[in-house]
Amino acid sequence: METINLVKRYPTSIKKAIQGRPGSHTTSFKGIFEVILRRGSFITALDGVTLQIKKGEIFGLLGPNGAGKTTFIKILCTLILHDEGEAYVNGFDVRKEPSQVLRNLQAVIGGSIGFEWRLTARQGLEFYASLYGLPKYEARKKIDYLLDFTGLKDRADDMYQRYSSGMRRKLVLCRTLLQDVPIVLFDEPTVGLDPPTSAEIRELLRDKLSRDEGKTVLISTHNMWEAQEICDRIAILYRGKIVACDSPDNIRRLIRPETVYNITLQSPKFNKEHEKMLKDLQEMAGVKNLTPRVTPEGVFQRLTLYLDKNYSLSSVLKVLFSYGLEIKSVDAREPDLEEAFIALTREEQKE
Amino acid sequence: MKSTTGLKAKGMNLLVALRQISAFTKRDMYGWSTYKTAAITQLVSVLIGVLAWGISATYLDRQVPEYNTNYISFLIVGLVIGNIVMPIAQGVERRLNPWTLETILMTGVSVPVFVLGNISWNYIFSIIIFIPQLLIGVYWFGAELNLNIYSTILAFAISAIILLGLAMVSTGMRIVTKSTDPVTWAVNTLSQLLAGMTFPIQFLDRIFPGASSFAWFLPQTWVYHLCREALLMGLSPAAPQMQLDLLKGLAFAVILFPLGYYVFRWGLKRSKKDGTLGFF
Repeated sequence: METINLVKRYPTSIKKAIQGRPGSHTTSFKGIFEVILRRGSFITALDGVTLQIKKGEIFGLLGPNGAGKTTFIKILCTLILHDEGEAYVNGFDVRKEPSQVLRNLQAVIGGSIGFEWRLTARQGLEFYASLYGLPKYEARKKIDYLLDFTGLKDRADDMYQRYSSGMRRKLVLCRTLLQDVPIVLFDEPTVGLDPPTSAEIRELLRDKLSRDEGKTVLISTHNMWEAQEICDRIAILYRGKIVACDSPDNIRRLIRPETVYNITLQSPKFNKEHEKMLKDLQEMAGVKNLTPRVTPEGVFQRLTLYLDKNYSLSSVLKVLFSYGLEIKSVDAREPDLEEAFIALTREEQKE
Repeated sequence: MKSTTGLKAKGMNLLVALRQISAFTKRDMYGWSTYKTAAITQLVSVLIGVLAWGISATYLDRQVPEYNTNYISFLIVGLVIGNIVMPIAQGVERRLNPWTLETILMTGVSVPVFVLGNISWNYIFSIIIFIPQLLIGVYWFGAELNLNIYSTILAFAISAIILLGLAMVSTGMRIVTKSTDPVTWAVNTLSQLLAGMTFPIQFLDRIFPGASSFAWFLPQTWVYHLCREALLMGLSPAAPQMQLDLLKGLAFAVILFPLGYYVFRWGLKRSKKDGTLGFF
């Protein structure tokens, strides 16, 4: 999947545009006239998004509410037409070849349930299987397989309205997988689900869809932990722009390339020797920074070290031991994705 | 060889399209049948409607020379056609909702399949209740049918194309406007007054001189007129009057069907451009 300079603008409401909300150009009668003709005022949902998603990877699209994640997914699904740029799914242009695109990609989109409340799960899936053009026998086999795959087999003949939120999400996943497509998109896959169900859905995505079936999976989420847990690569989308795109580890290190260690000591009295040791440590190449914690009673309690991510902790520990310090515990604290996300979006906000 | 393969592919596509339409029909039929109270009340109200109109017609009994029949026959046939007309023209529009529209479009079904599929159960249901309605009209109220089977088939076919065109216009507009579609609303409202469901449109001129000429420009007028000619006057397709009227009806069908297709595509495109396909 690939997008090049993808731009999507939505017309604002006439009232808001005339009131001169940010992004509108309505200061004159001409402006108002343009707004009425829906030419003048727009909200930019995607602003030049260029992304390349590799075959077989789990790619996460991270962003706060209103960042443009759903718009991006719906463009790939041919449900929204973009204004500028290009988007391709397995080499097919989403604007010019929508039917080929839909043979290569299916999606689970938040608000789009697509099941009749009073039909059973199986009846709902049979309906979609016919729309996808699956022959009857094949459809029946596939539906059985998918219901088993998602653990819904025992409730297959219950009405959709009897399903819990988690079961509904799984059923939508079944519908998505009816057609054997190589790419599956998920808009907020676990939003509103309880922790065990969320874990199950993540397991389905990572272990079954990606690893076992080799499908390319694109998820949009604002759950940092989820993205860090299952994605091979992520892109951070903020106000319609990609502010970072890399593996979760690399993105975490974008804001702070060092690893932080908290070394708790066996509470010795802080002395001149320790001052010398701190100087020695500061001179070491991999040590970026250090902060000792000494209590008002003069007890040397803890040492916080900022080390280069590839620098070995053992060389630091050797120095500590050589000064006769005894260590109670060592905690490594790596920057998490949430910190990186906040830092990157804040930076973008300033710009 | 190539042409045989092409034909085979077309045959397969047609088969898939038929299965898709039948899937929509089954879905709607199952859904309808689960709402048992609603289904029963719907059937009862249709039957009571026929009875009410039949009683009024009996009370007002008069001749309708325009169709060589009496008023009871004229009205019962009009009412029965009306019960077929409205569900078709509003079939898709009523089934549109943001929760299913996006997912159905993502299956890649074609526009005609989408429209026909969403209409089919309504149409089948209308046909099912059409027969008892007619029977009540004929055996209880003494409506006299003088039908020509070939003209009836042709009249129904042309009417179906006209109504499908209207349905597509209505759906296309509804996808954009989200609530009431002003075009279909105008056509349907004017039709109530002018299409001649309960009186021959020539009668309009007595109240609004010249109004009948305008009425002939409404597609529904032709649906009523053609079906009445076939069901009440027994005109064969070879009769010059029937031929001419079938041609006029066909002209409406030829204009409305592609227009409906175009409006539907336009509505879809406009909604995709505005990003409002999933909105309601």
